Amino acid sequence: MSIKVNIPYLLQYLTNGGKVAEVNGSTVGECLKHLAEQFPLIEKALFDEHGKLISYLDIYVNEESAYPEELGKPVKPGDELDILFMIDGG
Amino acid sequence: MLTTDELERYERQIIIEKFGEEGQEKLKRAKVFIAGAGGLGSATSIYLMAAGVGMMRIVDHDRVELSNLNRQILHWDEDIGKLKVDSALEKLKRLNKGVEIEATEATITEANVSQLVADFDLIVDAMDNLPTRYVVNKAALERNIPLFHGAVYGFEGRAMTIIPGQTACLRCLYRGVFPQEKFPVIGVTPAVIGCIQATEVIKYIVGIGELLTNRLLIFDGLDMKFKEFKVKKDPSCEHCGHLVTKE
Repeated sequence: MSIKVNIPYLLQYLTNGGKVAEVNGSTVGECLKHLAEQFPLIEKALFDEHGKLISYLDIYVNEESAYPEELGKPVKPGDELDILFMIDGG
Repeated sequence: MLTTDELERYERQIIIEKFGEEGQEKLKRAKVFIAGAGGLGSATSIYLMAAGVGMMRIVDHDRVELSNLNRQILHWDEDIGKLKVDSALEKLKRLNKGVEIEATEATITEANVSQLVADFDLIVDAMDNLPTRYVVNKAALERNIPLFHGAVYGFEGRAMTIIPGQTACLRCLYRGVFPQEKFPVIGVTPAVIGCIQATEVIKYIVGIGELLTNRLLIFDGLDMKFKEFKVKKDPSCEHCGHLVTKE
């Protein structure tokens, strides 16, 4: 069983409009890398030049924040990831 | 004590189970600070005025522009060029004469925030940038004032309620800063989120229901879905980590 990643609307243009992707990995970082292998254009939207998660993104695993482990947080098959952008409009 | 007019005006909410005249009296005694007179500030202030809070202060530094009018429903064509707080004051006064309302033209900063929010019972976060939201978050925590957060982007909106010393704060939720940009938004999104913030304010004041604490509610208007994420109080949070958690 794979891990489901919900793609935020802002990034769906990088997944050919796909709202959900299936990935494999044992950590959040591995899952996002696998996502980037499937959709190479998404890599720059997720990681900075040092390979760290972009500072205004948060990853949630099964609706709980992956912070502070973030990319290192362990995941298992059947888990669900959400990529959340900070938003601040009023 | 409610007047005869107030009993009639608020009858339909007074008859809500567990709300009652006592709830209405609590609303009448409440002093609410609205930070921002834009899209979120329009929706929250209109519904809190209609619900009969006792006193409201609305703060903003901008003037009304044509491009505001798709979502900032307190401001109309004739208001272009006016201070948003003046435009808001004029409409809100006409909505409910029983509510004391004060409009303050100010840019909220670290230097003035404590003075601006002093003596208020609650703060509605209706701002449009994270740095100022962080300033208000910190002040709310320091002064032990509940903060009702809302934010929008396009068809997406978010809300969370923050009770100082008890729940996760805005800084527990967000640690970075979103790049400054002209954010896209359709007017219905701040309307939905502003109404959720106003609902939380009313519930908090009256003391009914379950607050949106330690939970980030996300409204997705495109797929018409609500989703909830758990937010934990961060023990190392630079804003609230030092506050002792109260049960």
